[in-house]
Amino acid sequence: MGIEWVHPGLLLIVGAWIVPLLKGHAKRAAMIAVPAAALIDCLAMTPGSYGTASFLGQEVVFGVVDRLSLVFATVFSIMALLGMIYALHVDDDAQHVSALTYAGGALGVTFAGDLLSLYLFWELMAVSSVLLVWLRRDARATRAGFRYLLAHVFGGLLLLAGILIHWSNTGSFAFGDLGAHSGGLAWGLILAAFLLNAAVPPLGAWLPDAYPEATVTGAVFMTAFTTKSAVYVLIRGFAQTELLVWLGAAMAIYGVVYAVLENDARRLLAYHIISQVGYMVCAVGIGTELALNGAAAHAFAHILYKALLFMGAGAVLQMTGLRKLSEMGGLYKTMPITLGLYMIGAFAISAVPLFSGFVSKSMIVSAAGESHRAAVFLMLTLASAGTFLHTGLKLPYSMFFGERRDAPTAEEGAAPGAEPPRNMLVAMSLAALLCVAIGIFPGLLYARLPHAVEYVPYTLQHVTSTLGMLAFTALGFFLLLGHLHPTRTISLDTDWFYRRGAFGLMKLVSGPLVGLQRRVGEAHEIVIRRPILGLAHVVRKFDSGVVDFALVGVGRSTRALSRLLKKVEDGHTQHYGLLMAGGLATLLALVVLAL
Amino acid sequence: MSFLEKHLEDPVRLGRIKRVLYVALGLVVAAEIGLPLLFGAGHPHFAFERFPAWGSLYGLLSCVAIILVSKLIGKVFLMRGEDYFGDKEHRYPEDGDGH
Repeated sequence: MGIEWVHPGLLLIVGAWIVPLLKGHAKRAAMIAVPAAALIDCLAMTPGSYGTASFLGQEVVFGVVDRLSLVFATVFSIMALLGMIYALHVDDDAQHVSALTYAGGALGVTFAGDLLSLYLFWELMAVSSVLLVWLRRDARATRAGFRYLLAHVFGGLLLLAGILIHWSNTGSFAFGDLGAHSGGLAWGLILAAFLLNAAVPPLGAWLPDAYPEATVTGAVFMTAFTTKSAVYVLIRGFAQTELLVWLGAAMAIYGVVYAVLENDARRLLAYHIISQVGYMVCAVGIGTELALNGAAAHAFAHILYKALLFMGAGAVLQMTGLRKLSEMGGLYKTMPITLGLYMIGAFAISAVPLFSGFVSKSMIVSAAGESHRAAVFLMLTLASAGTFLHTGLKLPYSMFFGERRDAPTAEEGAAPGAEPPRNMLVAMSLAALLCVAIGIFPGLLYARLPHAVEYVPYTLQHVTSTLGMLAFTALGFFLLLGHLHPTRTISLDTDWFYRRGAFGLMKLVSGPLVGLQRRVGEAHEIVIRRPILGLAHVVRKFDSGVVDFALVGVGRSTRALSRLLKKVEDGHTQHYGLLMAGGLATLLALVVLAL
Repeated sequence: MSFLEKHLEDPVRLGRIKRVLYVALGLVVAAEIGLPLLFGAGHPHFAFERFPAWGSLYGLLSCVAIILVSKLIGKVFLMRGEDYFGDKEHRYPEDGDGH
């Protein structure tokens, strides 16, 4: 890696370890300086190919810098900075190190030019992000973290298998458009791994399962990196894959349907991540220049407003201890600034004119229009109404207005709420500022997109029909308010298969499998153990009866002989002399007699 | 922000706000129908977008459809008690296994 290029992900991953070494103001300064350095690094970067190394005889490229990777890297760095400001008051070094490493992993994926380094950073993201769930340090978070990790380990294995098969087919680890291998096994495995991280149903249930259980500040990081880095690799590898058009459009509606039923504030917002990422996945599938620009622009805008929304819900959770909408209400009296900043995020995600979503989401919807896909156009517009309905109306209504219907009492630990610490408000204000700036000056964002932009968001027809749609969605909301009160329920998602499926598995294990094991044990007893024992018995009898007897016999004879000899060898020299003399006399007698 | 509190907790003022909002709805529809007549309709992608007040109409239909269909799917298939997976926080001892 040359001096001319420093990997911003490396800055974050290495810089993370400065934070625990420092204390007080220096620590807080480092928490801001590290992501700020990565951001400046990204902004100063010029396109090119950097950081080439050789590994196992293959070339790995850590720094593919082009317009596409730069726009994602820039927003990832901005997000790391905002997230660290939001977390400044948190006295938990482990969280800071995990969060910075996680953001560094996302930057690593963004600049990866080959599948090996992509895989490396992909796994780094999974491992560092699960810590942001576990560091909440309660039993629910621990269980949710394990489920999250299992889902991502599964995805990582799909990716690794896909990479290895791709390598054995082509002899190359280079990462680029995989359209030429469409339909192959490697193509399918890599696509499935990317779709899992993009939280595309039915592979996406890990997201609403884990994010609401993460720490208040950790969840803000999680909303940004995993799904959007997956969108990025989909743009790189799978543009114009028709399957993605339909998966994305269905996903946009899927998130909205679940959001109607949801009671946990951060889980509702998590379902809206799925819905919004659906727009991006759909755009990747459409694959025209306008659509890919839209996917990148929407990812950029989405990271900022979704972080702002999670920051708002996190502030409420932190200050009141409440996570369920059915318990909240009336907080506008004690948290008005939080409400105001939250609403800016809500207007941005709902694509209200002058907010960021209006200039990014509409690129995707227009791309569907320009490619004459009426059904997709209608599905995405419908999901837009649903987004405003929940994030812009139901959630703030239940949280900040409305009545507390089954709120816990003060003895049960509920607080009336107050504005969060100043650093949290600063982070939210910066995110809000960016949401508005992009909405008013879309050129700021458009200038950074991968392709030249001719799209004009502020046309008379677009503004009036959007306002009409939003206004009448609001009317529908207030007319049907009675049906929308949050209820204390949860909704089943595809995680049912591994959460309830695990109970089924345990039943299978404790019932039939244990029985089978017992029968195998019995068969083993009869067919193998008993004959062997019988044979051993015979061998032992032979051993003790014949072999031992023979040995004992030899021993006894030897001892008897020794006793006999002992009588002769009694140590008296005169007896030996006498014996020798007798012997000699006998020999002499024999010789004389024989002669 | 006593301003919000003052307006939301006073029925007379709240009523006034509601009337203003209804007028705004009317203006939005009028703008959607009227402005394209005055300044030209632009270039919509599909014929159905030329339907008068298309955005308002589709917004209202979408909102109602999403709420009703989701609730139906939820009630029939998806919704379960909070302790379905056995990891409810036991903050409400009185309804221990009420689901």
